[in-house]
Amino acid sequence: MKLLALVSLFAAVYSPVAALWPQPRTINTGNNTLRLAPNFQIIVSGHGVPSDVQAAVGRTQSYLAKDKLARLVVGRGASDAKSFAQAKTLSKLTVSLEKGAAWKPITSEAQKAPADRDEAYHLTVPADGSAATLTANSTLGLLRGLTTFGQLWYAYDGTTYAIETPVTIEDSPAYPYRGFMLDTARNFFPVADIKRTLDAMSWVKLNQFHWHVVDSQSFPLEIPGFTDLAAKGAYSSSQVYSPSDVQDIVAYAGARGIDVMVEIDTPGHTAIIAEAHPDFVACPGATPWGTYANEPPAGQLRLANSTVTNYIADLFTAASELFPSTLFSTGGDELNTACYDIDEPTQAALNATGSTLEQALDQFTQVTHKALEVKGKTPAVWEEMVLVHNVTISKESPVLVWISSENVKAVAEKGFKIIHAASDYFYLDCGHGAWVGDFPTGNSWCDPFKSWQLSYSFNPTANLTTDEAALILGGQHLLWAEQSGPENLDDTIWPRAASSAELFWTGPGGNISTALPRLHDVSYRFRTRGVKTISLQPEWCALRPGACDLTA
Amino acid sequence: MRFLSLLLALAPAAGVFGLWPQPRSLETGSTALKLASDFDIHVSVQHPPSDLSDAVSRTKSFLQNDKLGRLVVGRGSSDSSALKTAKSLKTLQLSLSKGATVRSITEESRLALGTRSEEYILDIPADGSTATLTANSTLGLLRGLTTFSQLFYEWSGQIYTVEAPISITDAPAYPWRGLMLDTSRNFFPVADIMRTLDAMSLVKMSQFHWHVTDSQSFPLVIPGFTELANAGAYDPSMVYSPSDVQDIVDYAGARGIDVMVEIDTPGHTAIIGAAHPEYVACAEASPWTTFANEPPAGQLRLASATVANFTAKMFTAVAKMFPSTVLSTGGDELNTECYAQDSETQADLTSTGRTLEQALSVFTQTTHGALKAAGKTPAVWEEMVLDHNVTLSNETVVLVWISSMNAAAVAEKNFRLVHAPSDYFYLDCGAGEWIGDDVANSWCDPFKTWQKAYTFDPQANISASQAHLVLGGEQALWTEQSGPENLDPIVWPRAAASAEVFWTGPGGNGSEALPRLHDVAFRMRQRGVKAIQLQPMWCALRPGQCNLDS
Repeated sequence: MKLLALVSLFAAVYSPVAALWPQPRTINTGNNTLRLAPNFQIIVSGHGVPSDVQAAVGRTQSYLAKDKLARLVVGRGASDAKSFAQAKTLSKLTVSLEKGAAWKPITSEAQKAPADRDEAYHLTVPADGSAATLTANSTLGLLRGLTTFGQLWYAYDGTTYAIETPVTIEDSPAYPYRGFMLDTARNFFPVADIKRTLDAMSWVKLNQFHWHVVDSQSFPLEIPGFTDLAAKGAYSSSQVYSPSDVQDIVAYAGARGIDVMVEIDTPGHTAIIAEAHPDFVACPGATPWGTYANEPPAGQLRLANSTVTNYIADLFTAASELFPSTLFSTGGDELNTACYDIDEPTQAALNATGSTLEQALDQFTQVTHKALEVKGKTPAVWEEMVLVHNVTISKESPVLVWISSENVKAVAEKGFKIIHAASDYFYLDCGHGAWVGDFPTGNSWCDPFKSWQLSYSFNPTANLTTDEAALILGGQHLLWAEQSGPENLDDTIWPRAASSAELFWTGPGGNISTALPRLHDVSYRFRTRGVKTISLQPEWCALRPGACDLTA
Repeated sequence: MRFLSLLLALAPAAGVFGLWPQPRSLETGSTALKLASDFDIHVSVQHPPSDLSDAVSRTKSFLQNDKLGRLVVGRGSSDSSALKTAKSLKTLQLSLSKGATVRSITEESRLALGTRSEEYILDIPADGSTATLTANSTLGLLRGLTTFSQLFYEWSGQIYTVEAPISITDAPAYPWRGLMLDTSRNFFPVADIMRTLDAMSLVKMSQFHWHVTDSQSFPLVIPGFTELANAGAYDPSMVYSPSDVQDIVDYAGARGIDVMVEIDTPGHTAIIGAAHPEYVACAEASPWTTFANEPPAGQLRLASATVANFTAKMFTAVAKMFPSTVLSTGGDELNTECYAQDSETQADLTSTGRTLEQALSVFTQTTHGALKAAGKTPAVWEEMVLDHNVTLSNETVVLVWISSMNAAAVAEKNFRLVHAPSDYFYLDCGAGEWIGDDVANSWCDPFKTWQKAYTFDPQANISASQAHLVLGGEQALWTEQSGPENLDPIVWPRAAASAEVFWTGPGGNGSEALPRLHDVAFRMRQRGVKAIQLQPMWCALRPGQCNLDS
């Protein structure tokens, strides 16, 4: 069944459904033009339709009316106009749940644990003008189908039309975790920028926003009971996320089929906590920073101190109440031991308890993870917590592999669930030069730039056994924001991050040449919706699929 | 004299964070000075040209609207007590030096290279008495106004500097401080170009190099040659009409910027085949890698007298649209295989008994002759003097792009040169291969950081006797992977690096420069230019703490 689906996929991509991204798992198309009726309506049949479903229908209607995307061919659709006179008109899309399925908000479906999410849908658009139908087992599946439907249409001279009807699509994702990570600590991003990013994520069916909200440079998250952290650690009083901002973002994401996994990175990457609690932080601002941290400023939580440990456990408890997701990341990357070596209170605490640093880290991790588990959360961690340190971690914890895709195998061998976030494929900040001051010969540490072609060629199960492959939850692109801010957010992310969205929805092995016209298409559509995606090629190439391939 | 001012320019460890480019000589104090609520700029110039009055209005508007907090922890809160006792500056007085001819900024900025007067003297006493700005030209006054507006910060409703008194004597090291934009690979609306000109003006750039057409599209509407844009623009809405060009040229001129247009010939012209198929050899020939450096292939049939005359007449028409004294005819990346396989070109060569190189020389002399007749100085890419045996006037300006190593060879041939080397100044490098099915890096990897551009030495390997041939330089944006969406972030603040190299002169200290570059980038953002963050804001507020060795 899966094999069959893949066969039909490869047959389909050579047909010109330039529009769809990610490519559905199975798709059949014809070659008839179909116009959208001026009074076209999306009818949701059922009782007790949740408001976020109604809102999704409203957004889809709005996109159909406003995208006005011209087809990416020479003439931009002029050659299609002659088929308009004979084309039938579609006046209705009927949306319904499969028999026995209950109407629940998209938001609650999206916020389920990754393995429990049901995103499958079935979409049929007949060529004869009879009603199109969208069915699914969940409202989340309906949202995915509406997203697909919204990508089928072009505009030319006032006519909204599709060119490849009839269309039949049976679709569901290959992986349940398809994410994007944003760092809002190195530089701050206003709520509006995050919401625009969530919109764009939903257009390519991404379902997980990994919010690396705080780090050593700033603490913009206002946590009830712990407000001194943002009051002293945010860049300014206007550069904070209040509890209502968080609620706003989480609700906005949920309605778009996106779960928000927050990360409070500990015990490293915490220098800024010293602004409010200097006694909690070892080596704050120590120089040379190169000895005590991977980037300035140095500073890490005094993990051997039980007061600090309990404080962080309480902080996690409070933060977990802001985020309904089942996932919560406690970070755990890049712990620097030299920082603790020179920190007398840490050394005294280790001596007093007779613990090694690793034992203290284990204790710290168990206490802080326990606080999350009590709140019903599954902690997620960066790879060092299972590969570098000897720490007790639940096998339920997803491990994010970032240092290198080469490390995936080792994490899998330990039996942990895995989220691909490898710097050698998915780091969006690489390739823009070193940012540490006067360093004219320096490239970024993860040079070169990771092109969409590179990330698209990623194999999620490379070198894994079948059992190990089953541990892969999915993956994500990531934006560390040392050299980014609202100014270059869209153009650094998009459309590159769409490449992993397709990889983890459709599955690996896609062909770059046939993907490119579709990626152009979704990128142009993003622009019509206000997201500033970059040009991947000269427009001459975008209008002539294949003409700018290396072998053309 | 020049030596003295350079010595002073190396002093500024002092910490006028605001200024970019750094003035050639600068003295500052440590007294706070507020701008009076009724602050005004008086112009004591007889019959001031309207673009000078406009520049004064813009400056006042920037002073009011920049609202830039100082880049220190607290953003200026620590200045509060100093502001309580600070004097207020009521007046900035502008005047031209005795005997100076009053011309518009626009006219001054379009004078031939080497004859422009951009120097100015700015004095701001700490006691609230009148500040003075004097120059030998209105263009110099514009540069001084630009400096003045970078001196002020805002905190709690007060507009102020903390470094009065300030005394500046300033003049550029090189006349050509440019930025190149390619509007052919992808199109940029007029508003994007104007915003770019504003940002250029903020860092005292003097030359906009407009690579307006190429093989992919022909957006320039040229009177008498409108078929080229009709058939070759991406869309009827994606063209520069003659009135758009005039708007851009005027907007630039009023901001002290000359516009050198480039119509790249005889290569990079495939799109001319859309209107005149008979003029273009190997149009869209495949595999493109054999016939061009990027798709689509296609070059003017340079051996055809008809084509040479057509191109010459087109240049004559283009010359009328652009008041600059300089116009570029391009000349890069000529592909010989394209002509080797073009039977028409082979027939033309045979009938005239010329080699391809001889035909290229005839073509170039014809097109350059047309420009000279129109009063223009031609500019060309380096291949025209290093790779080809073409007769060029020694007035010709040569742009070095392939490698900074080639500048010395151009100087050896006694041509004036503009530095635009890909290994320092190409803004597009390092963003991955854009050719479709290729998982590779960009051809000019890695990314050229501001730090790298800032280390550029304009006189490297050039003898003292040839030093005068260096007109300056420019950073360049080729737009295969750019459009309006990422224009600001990919250009700014990186392109400011060369603006300072060619104004202040080379040898600047990157660590000293970074806080000032942060400052001008933050100011650009306040003015609506989306300059990128060079570092976490934590670093921007703590000069020196995020260096490699801090």
